[in-house]
Amino acid sequence: MREIAKLVLVLGLICGISAGSLATVRTRLADRIEQQNDLFVRGPALELLLQQPANDILGHKLTIDTPEGSMVVFYSQESGTVCGLAIETIGKGGYGGDIAVMLGVNMESNKLLGLEIIKHQETPGIGSQIEKSAFRNQWLGLPAHGPIQLTNEGGTIDGISGATYSTKAVIQGSQKALSAYMNSKDQISDLIQQSDAADQTQLDS
Amino acid sequence: MSRFLSVLLHGFWKDLPPFRLVLGLCPALAVTASANNGLGMGMSVTFVLIFSNLVISLLRNVIPNKVRIASYIVIIATLVVIVEMILQAYFFGLSQQLGIYIPLIVVNCIILGRAEAFASRNTPFLSAVDGLSIGLGFTMSLTVVGSIREMLGAGTWFGMSLASAEFEPFAFMIKAPGAFICLGLLLGLMNAFSHWRGENVIQK
Repeated sequence: MREIAKLVLVLGLICGISAGSLATVRTRLADRIEQQNDLFVRGPALELLLQQPANDILGHKLTIDTPEGSMVVFYSQESGTVCGLAIETIGKGGYGGDIAVMLGVNMESNKLLGLEIIKHQETPGIGSQIEKSAFRNQWLGLPAHGPIQLTNEGGTIDGISGATYSTKAVIQGSQKALSAYMNSKDQISDLIQQSDAADQTQLDS
Repeated sequence: MSRFLSVLLHGFWKDLPPFRLVLGLCPALAVTASANNGLGMGMSVTFVLIFSNLVISLLRNVIPNKVRIASYIVIIATLVVIVEMILQAYFFGLSQQLGIYIPLIVVNCIILGRAEAFASRNTPFLSAVDGLSIGLGFTMSLTVVGSIREMLGAGTWFGMSLASAEFEPFAFMIKAPGAFICLGLLLGLMNAFSHWRGENVIQK
């Protein structure tokens, strides 16, 4: 009995200390990792989606609350009016975990500007084909009221054969972004106005 | 002192991974498409190896024999996740290229092998030196394999262009089969060299 207690105690202690040190490192590096993500992953994706320099758009960052949790939204402006939005969501159910996608929406024409994959851990060569432009371009120009579906479910997206989970996760993520956009259009406009007003006062003072 | 020297040097020829130990072949094959990736992977493994050996050696009298493997894995996994976060924070490009192979260092047999065979029986200092030696040996091998594959397969070395325009890159070398052939030929050359020197270390 005493032996078992010792085993449990030692293993428990090792796990506890490990968890503690991981948490410390994570909190120390979280900001820096986020910065690097903005610079190397989100930045290029935003440039492609919204056709503006990444530095301009990265400053235009909002967080909206939706029934499915909070989402990060970037927006681009042209001569004062908002023209493009990029909504980042997590698609659940990928083969190697969750897939972070970014969906571009044109607010004026209500059409999609495209889809970018931000982060995934799919099998190289199979699920990772979701990164290919031939697959992602299928989102281009779709109407923003959705729904986004596979062809065999009555939609317009051709899935990748052999990568059903990956395809479905991407579709689920982009569908989530779309419904968030349709449901919180007003909230997004309000937030953009607010942050613009804040920018203005900062400039004035 | 001679023990220190032999521990310091054994990773460079006598127990050179992955050729002599024939452990850790998966990363050696998978990430060595370029010299840069090989170097990055080697450095990550070296970091994990030094600290896992050090910690395991410090705890060698505390960890009960029955749960030692579980304890080693927890310690190694912690160090690997720390390496992964450091790479993401400071070497983002490299972490993207190495991708899934960084988390897979946890199950790299070299690390568990050194923990079991060396760190659990030796003093912390010697164990750390052993980690350094094996780690640098591994880095060296991966960089060499990566260099050969990159030079033949892409005509570059660490991204610098080496070949003239007429050189048609041997693209096969940076694909998976090229890794097997490159590693196999190197292993064969090393064994032939050892045989010629009359060393008794040829893998049976």
